[in-house]
Amino acid sequence: MTPSGDRTEGLHFDEMTGLLFLDQQLDEGRAREITQHTNSCAACRELLRVLKNENVWLRQAMIAEEEPVPARFAEAPRRGGSWAWAAALGFGTAGAYTLWNGLIDPWMSQASEVGFTQGNLMSMLFFSGAFWNGWNSVLTAVEFLALGTLGAVAAWLLRRYFRRSAKFAAVMGGIICAAMLPSSASAAQIEHGSPNYTLAAGQEIKSDLIVRGADHAQIDGTVDGDLIAFSHIVEVNGHVKGDVIVFAQELHLNGPVDGNVRVFAQLAFLRSTVERNVMAFVNTLDLDEASSVGGSVTTGSQTTRLGGKITGDLLAGTASAELNGPIGGNVKILGRSLQVTPSAQIAGRAEFEGPEQPEIAAGAKLASPFQVTIKKPTPGYLTWRYYWHQTLRWGAAFVLGIVFFLVAPAVFLDASNSAKKAGLAMGIGLLFLVGLPVAAIIACVTIVGLGLGIVTFLTYVVAVYMSQIFIGEWLGEKLLGAGVGAGAIIGRLALGLAILRVIRLIPFIGPLSALVVIVWGLGAYVLTIHKRLRQPAVA
Amino acid sequence: MEPRKTAGEMNSTELAELLARVRAGDSDAWGELYREYAPAIFRFCRRALPAREDAEDATTEVFMKVRQKLGTYDSSRPFTAWLYKVASNHCWDTLRRRRIRQDLETGDLETLPLEHPEPDQLEQLQAAHTSKEVRDGLAQLPDRARMALVLRYFGDMSYEEIADTLGVRRAFVGVLLLRARHQLREILQSGAASPRAAAVGGHL
Repeated sequence: MTPSGDRTEGLHFDEMTGLLFLDQQLDEGRAREITQHTNSCAACRELLRVLKNENVWLRQAMIAEEEPVPARFAEAPRRGGSWAWAAALGFGTAGAYTLWNGLIDPWMSQASEVGFTQGNLMSMLFFSGAFWNGWNSVLTAVEFLALGTLGAVAAWLLRRYFRRSAKFAAVMGGIICAAMLPSSASAAQIEHGSPNYTLAAGQEIKSDLIVRGADHAQIDGTVDGDLIAFSHIVEVNGHVKGDVIVFAQELHLNGPVDGNVRVFAQLAFLRSTVERNVMAFVNTLDLDEASSVGGSVTTGSQTTRLGGKITGDLLAGTASAELNGPIGGNVKILGRSLQVTPSAQIAGRAEFEGPEQPEIAAGAKLASPFQVTIKKPTPGYLTWRYYWHQTLRWGAAFVLGIVFFLVAPAVFLDASNSAKKAGLAMGIGLLFLVGLPVAAIIACVTIVGLGLGIVTFLTYVVAVYMSQIFIGEWLGEKLLGAGVGAGAIIGRLALGLAILRVIRLIPFIGPLSALVVIVWGLGAYVLTIHKRLRQPAVA
Repeated sequence: MEPRKTAGEMNSTELAELLARVRAGDSDAWGELYREYAPAIFRFCRRALPAREDAEDATTEVFMKVRQKLGTYDSSRPFTAWLYKVASNHCWDTLRRRRIRQDLETGDLETLPLEHPEPDQLEQLQAAHTSKEVRDGLAQLPDRARMALVLRYFGDMSYEEIADTLGVRRAFVGVLLLRARHQLREILQSGAASPRAAAVGGHL
């Protein structure tokens, strides 16, 4: 707006004064002056009139009702509306489980045969096939419903970002399409053990062979491709022209392999020729004297016995190693003990690093003397790595805290605010810390509650880890004050987490403080979630 | 100044009785109170917050607070004034919290010189824009400016109440209102208050 030519500074009042006059904010004397002035000044009278009109104009614009009030605000809140939340949560959880079941479960079920997870409740529940498979047809409808509900819940949570219906439709369409996508085709032949699988001698499979879920997978025939096996015991007596990839409790490799061998198992016995490399993450690795490896051997194992011929290098991280055979390349072993027998030969450089002097037989043929580095275990807190790891842990929690803050700032601030009610938060935290796993386990032992139980357990683990973030933020606020702005919050979080981390380093007090932080932070988080889920419903 | 009345305004005796029943734990009374005032509070929140979804959430949360704080309500004061105060505090808290992760508040605007309005132009401006356009323009204002106008012209709040809600000195409220009006005029003059621009502005 341009200044009015009719109004002269000093003689007339300004717009601010006019506004305050109309809003009756001027003292009596000043208001009287304005009244007298406007009686004799047309320009100021005009200004007041226009400002007054503007008041009306603004008021009318604001009270005009072009949008309907949501129906839920036009009627009394319904009693017990929380069932809808419970149902949505239940189906949402089931939807999450469906995703889990579709994507992760196949791998997990195969890994169950490895034997690493024996005694684990999760594996027991997941992988006892008969327990679960019979429910597939029943589950299909529920899964569809659950997935839909999960999508709806996600859409509701993200609704602020879906202003336009087209975007919303696109996202929902994407979810539906993703749900309807057929399983990816596979060129491999897939066999399920029931309970055993045998590829008989003389039979040949002209593709990759995937064997899953067998108690005993026996390959006596020929596989003209890779052999991928997820079974309790895998016994290969035939010829595999590709790689052998095995997740099992035991692997007995008695037949030739033209490719690599990669094995994740408790026991791995190799008694044949492997043309390329062997990589084994096992409890015990045994290369028989009759075996030979055309490439290198890499292993992470508890016990390693290498009697066969290795053409390439050997890299082993192992508690106990015994070298009996010829090795054409370099040897590097990190471990506790090493025995090199008279029949061993090492053509390349040999290194050992561990707490004990290795036993090297005089008859062993070594191209060069073993380079031995004795490293006695030292208390962790005397090493720089210890502090580096502590720094990394701090950093991980800090980054997670920032991400959480950026994704859900209101929840983040509410949770750290809830931590101020320390007594209440700790009481609730203790209840959930103990009660939730019990509830999850109880849910797990019933088929209906399996998904809910597992997701509850996973959520619980995440919440326990997150607890330090809320307490860290609270602690930072105590020390730095409640400054406003993202920078202040991040600074508080960084300082609070650092102090918590330092306290955890103190003997005896540290673990106790960690427990308190978990209980406290978990309680604060639960309080926040409770607050957000609660409706102003009739009690 | 008396806050805006609700559509189905009940008289003071009825309201006092209703509040007494709510305080005594009568769930039907709470339902009645909610039904009576929730639409008005939703409309208030709708003006104060940039998005409809925010307003819906805020209305729900305001009534949660009302229920918790009803014991602190001084019955010698108008209930609607107290209710709007709770709502305005909540909306302002929501905006402040959100601002933490948004751009800096437009503090620089506080120092911008204001030009005197030309009455003719101001009248033309008022005549040329519909209520819808004004509301769209309102949605594009910085949070504090929008809140000030909504509290004053929708909530009918006094300068003291506005100062208390927004955490500013009472003497600053007039300045705040005047600058907000100027900013709104500029938005309308520039033609930025189209529905599309408003929709984008609503996200900011």
